[in-house]
Amino acid sequence: MTKDDVLPGHLQELRRGTAVMASLAALREPGYGYALLQTLSQAGIAVDANTLYPLLRRLEEQGLLTAEWDTTASRPRKIYRTGPEGERVLAAMLADLDALRTSVNRLTEGTAS
Amino acid sequence: MTTTTTTLTDRYVHATTRWMGEEKRTDIARELTATIDDMVAGRVEAGEDPVEAERAVLAELGNPAALAAQYANRPLHLIGPRYFLLWWKILLIGLIWVPVLAGAGAAIGSLASDGDAGDVIGAGIGTAIEAAFQVAFWVTLAFAILERVDVDAKLPRWTVDQLPELPKRQQVSLADAIGGVVTIGVIIAVLVLQHFRSWIDGPDGDDVAVLNPDLWSFWLPFLIGVLVLCMVLEVAKYRVGSYSWGIVAGVVITSLAWIVPVVWLATQGELISPELVAALDITPTVLDRINLGVVLVAIAVEVGTVVDAVVKNRQAARATGAQAAA
Repeated sequence: MTKDDVLPGHLQELRRGTAVMASLAALREPGYGYALLQTLSQAGIAVDANTLYPLLRRLEEQGLLTAEWDTTASRPRKIYRTGPEGERVLAAMLADLDALRTSVNRLTEGTAS
Repeated sequence: MTTTTTTLTDRYVHATTRWMGEEKRTDIARELTATIDDMVAGRVEAGEDPVEAERAVLAELGNPAALAAQYANRPLHLIGPRYFLLWWKILLIGLIWVPVLAGAGAAIGSLASDGDAGDVIGAGIGTAIEAAFQVAFWVTLAFAILERVDVDAKLPRWTVDQLPELPKRQQVSLADAIGGVVTIGVIIAVLVLQHFRSWIDGPDGDDVAVLNPDLWSFWLPFLIGVLVLCMVLEVAKYRVGSYSWGIVAGVVITSLAWIVPVVWLATQGELISPELVAALDITPTVLDRINLGVVLVAIAVEVGTVVDAVVKNRQAARATGAQAAA
């Protein structure tokens, strides 16, 4: 096994879970599935379409997102929006990410010195 | 053109949503259709051919069954990490014990209904194989269902107390154990095969049995059963790793269970098949000597086995004594 084979797997592990955070953050501005997919990919967060759409529904079922149908556009779209519970979860996840970042920094700086 | 494109998307949405509940299905179908249309429109705006764009979008979304599983939050594996180890343990235990017990039961049943040696063995092995398949199927099915039902099964958690002991100084080597089991297996095979193939022609040109065929009604199955117990004892000896008084007792009991019938049958002259005696023109004097020889060899072998077990047990006791003293 070369380094090239190992790295993608580790990166995937690292990124798992960021899709939830990114969606909750991006959907403070209400949006529909495909638009969110584009927003995320422009923001540099690559999520597969077949992962994101089921994820949105799951977050809705968990009460983190609210959703309503917008029938005014040319095709009817389900618009998602981050609810209060979603905000709370997002804040907790961001705090955890910060803590993680700090811990990793401490370790990397520790080894550097 | 338009009909074709609608159809592919419709087929995809249908394939994804068809096993969902009514309420969920309409909602997801509607959203998925709109999303696919959005994705296709995005690609067409970027200059792709509409038909190709639709195919590409559906390919990107992937297998509808996988997408449906994502929507339903259903696992895409039969048995996941939560239950795998328990499933494996139960499967192994079941595959070891159930076929053995079922096979033995069927063999005894066939024996009771006057089957000959082939019938008895065939019934035993056939039932054992069938039981193994049944065990594998039902255990796996039960765990596959458990994996899919959202219940908090209060499964026993692993605790530190379950750690196995470190292997003792191995007095019984694997080679010894395998040698013992194979030897016993060969003896069983000889006991069975002598009935069918002795290379001694009887009056009708067929092979005659070496041992008295009447013994199949009880004594030969009994002796084979004792040999199977000896095999179990060999395995137990290896698992324990050293001799103990329990194993010595097992050796003595199986030896007695084997030797008493053999000696009795030989002295009664019931061991050797009368057909063989006739086919080879064995005189009564020679037959007596053969029976005496069988008795002496049998006694020598079993006495040797028991003495060997006792000596090794004393060695084991001395070794543990030395360890305790150290």
